[in-house]
Amino acid sequence: MNNIIKEFVDNVTAKFELMGVDYPADLQVSLDFDQRDIHNALAYIKGAGWTQMSLLTCVDWIADNEFQLVFILFNWKNGVRLQVRTRIDRDKPVFTTITNIYPGAQYYERDVHEFFGVEFEGNPDSYKQLFLENWDDIPPLRKDFDAIAYSDRKYPARKYKANFSTEAGESK
Amino acid sequence: MSKKERAVAKRKKKWDGISNFFRANSIWMLMYCTGCCAIELPQAMTSKYDMERLGMGPMATPRQADVILVTGYLSVKTLRRVIYAYEQMGEPKYLVAFGPCTINGGIYYDAHPVIKSLDQYLPIDVYIAGCMPKPEAVMNGFQDLIDMIKRKEANGWRKYQENKEWYRENQIHALGELRIKDEFHE
Amino acid sequence: MKEVKLFVGPQHPGMHGNASIHMYVDGDIINRAYLLPGMLHRGFEKSMEKRTWMNNIALIPRICVPEPDTNEMVYAMNIEALANIEVPERAHWIRMLVLELARLAIHLMAFGGCGGPTGLYTAMYWAQADRDGILELFEEISGQRIYHMYIVAGGVRKDLPKGIEKKIIAYIDDLEARLPDYEELVLNNPSIRKRLVDNIILPKEVVWELGVTGIGMRSATGEPYDLRKVTPYARYDKVEFDVPTATYSDAQTRMTLKYLEMYQTIRIIRQVLDMMPKGKVRAKVDDGSALRWKVPAGQVYSAVEASRGEYGYYTVSTGELMPYRVAVRGASFPQGLLGLEKYLPGHRIDDAPLWFDTMGICSPEIDR
Repeated sequence: MNNIIKEFVDNVTAKFELMGVDYPADLQVSLDFDQRDIHNALAYIKGAGWTQMSLLTCVDWIADNEFQLVFILFNWKNGVRLQVRTRIDRDKPVFTTITNIYPGAQYYERDVHEFFGVEFEGNPDSYKQLFLENWDDIPPLRKDFDAIAYSDRKYPARKYKANFSTEAGESK
Repeated sequence: MSKKERAVAKRKKKWDGISNFFRANSIWMLMYCTGCCAIELPQAMTSKYDMERLGMGPMATPRQADVILVTGYLSVKTLRRVIYAYEQMGEPKYLVAFGPCTINGGIYYDAHPVIKSLDQYLPIDVYIAGCMPKPEAVMNGFQDLIDMIKRKEANGWRKYQENKEWYRENQIHALGELRIKDEFHE
Repeated sequence: MKEVKLFVGPQHPGMHGNASIHMYVDGDIINRAYLLPGMLHRGFEKSMEKRTWMNNIALIPRICVPEPDTNEMVYAMNIEALANIEVPERAHWIRMLVLELARLAIHLMAFGGCGGPTGLYTAMYWAQADRDGILELFEEISGQRIYHMYIVAGGVRKDLPKGIEKKIIAYIDDLEARLPDYEELVLNNPSIRKRLVDNIILPKEVVWELGVTGIGMRSATGEPYDLRKVTPYARYDKVEFDVPTATYSDAQTRMTLKYLEMYQTIRIIRQVLDMMPKGKVRAKVDDGSALRWKVPAGQVYSAVEASRGEYGYYTVSTGELMPYRVAVRGASFPQGLLGLEKYLPGHRIDDAPLWFDTMGICSPEIDR
């Protein structure tokens, strides 16, 4: 099985400029691409047998001022799972849609747009709200969004009467 | 109060007692489950615990239902629809809240889409404890509701009528807008 | 005729979970349909970033209500991959036992759910009564009926209680003897067959297009694409079981596959109880307090075969007290959103709940 992975990684390295390769678990490879290469790379990988896109998600690396898009691809024939990753600018998060390669990505892109604010050019549906309704703040899964403050502001907590006392005095 | 008015009030009280007796023994619950506590409702409804022993049955439309069950946490999107369904129900109507999430947010106290205490938005008659409440607890809660109706204590709907502005203000604060928009996909 | 805009759900007796289908109908034929999710959105992915690795164990089962154990399993698998933890042998077998019992429970629930929209409440009553037996077993094993919080990083929380094996055997003997009754009641029932056969067909090509996994994929492709076989986790490579498949995916086929899978699950449970070794059930994962445990940095994805398909978590750790990011791949995300939009049109309004039921759509995991 390791031969298959090695051969595949060699093929990819020959074709594209890889920013990094890692083996986080058994039968799992993570490949980091530059943003320019990612669409060609995905098309190549799909042709090589990774026909299922399990997940498209995003990680907010706020310290680097970058978003990382992660595509989890799976090959049912040999059971090898790929993490294809790329980084995009956090200030201008724009990415070209991959729905022409993996049509199943349509709603994942919408999900990422809603929770991170990444815009997917070429997927007009991705701009609509899906899970949230009348959202009035920055996209909620960004690291600079403070969920507790938002929750406290919008949904006031129940006020309890002090019903026990300690040595220091009445406690809430 | 004149003699005639007193007689009317007395008759009304008597009539309330009779109608409450019948209400308490045939409760239609709205078939709408909002959160995770709903997973124990099928157990309470079917063979093992059999809710119909208490005279309770499911009802498909809010207009014919007597009780709405708020089974667990409410995201704002659901709350908007629950308010809509609750206001459609004919009076008298009762609301049973399940789990800690309806009291103070429970495990979702810090979640951005989940409200914290339901009683600011809708009046609650019975709370059922547990995360999630076991079917025994659910049955016990329903029995409590029945007893409260018989004792004329389940008056949440009256409270809602009388303090509608206060409830409305809280609802607007949390939801922004009460109207349900359906254009999300267009 | 004029096209009418219609909402099915969230307040609707036929809806599985708190979701809504927004449809445009002509007569009772659906022209276009979209799922409106988000009624159960709780921002789990955000909340998990604010809790420690161990605290999250209480949060994750709530992502999928009817089958919570898969959540615990993938979360534990991710942490074990990041921190290189060796799980004790017995814990693997207990995990398999719990996961298979949960699979049995949710398949029974699917049979009950199939009875609801087709008007056969007997199926509902039978299936829920049988499912209650599993919930009671779970209560004895873990202390909770629905959310078990039993599978934790490094093994399981505690050993099985004494004498539970006998009870499980008694239960599955009883269930296996009565499974043919389910076949007679649901699968061979003429009134149900009329609704299920040749209805809501999932063509073979779309499976790849949408990323549908699980029963939906196996019923259309005819290939044994089951993560338990393709990438065996726990000790699924040590037990014998078949993966039922089909090449024509209508609603009836998918229900039949669920039915056949129940037999395989029972077969696995018997083998697990036979082959389970004695020993420790939980490896020590940290030196100090579990609440101050820092998982080594890394990014890993793990998936297990839930009853609805591939269920996975993508976990990012930066070596801190709390996860940096956890992304959830709900098994029914593809079939619930894109699948419904593409394949429901052309069917009747009352077929919508059957799509939900036979594809096994769980709205809390779509919304998260």
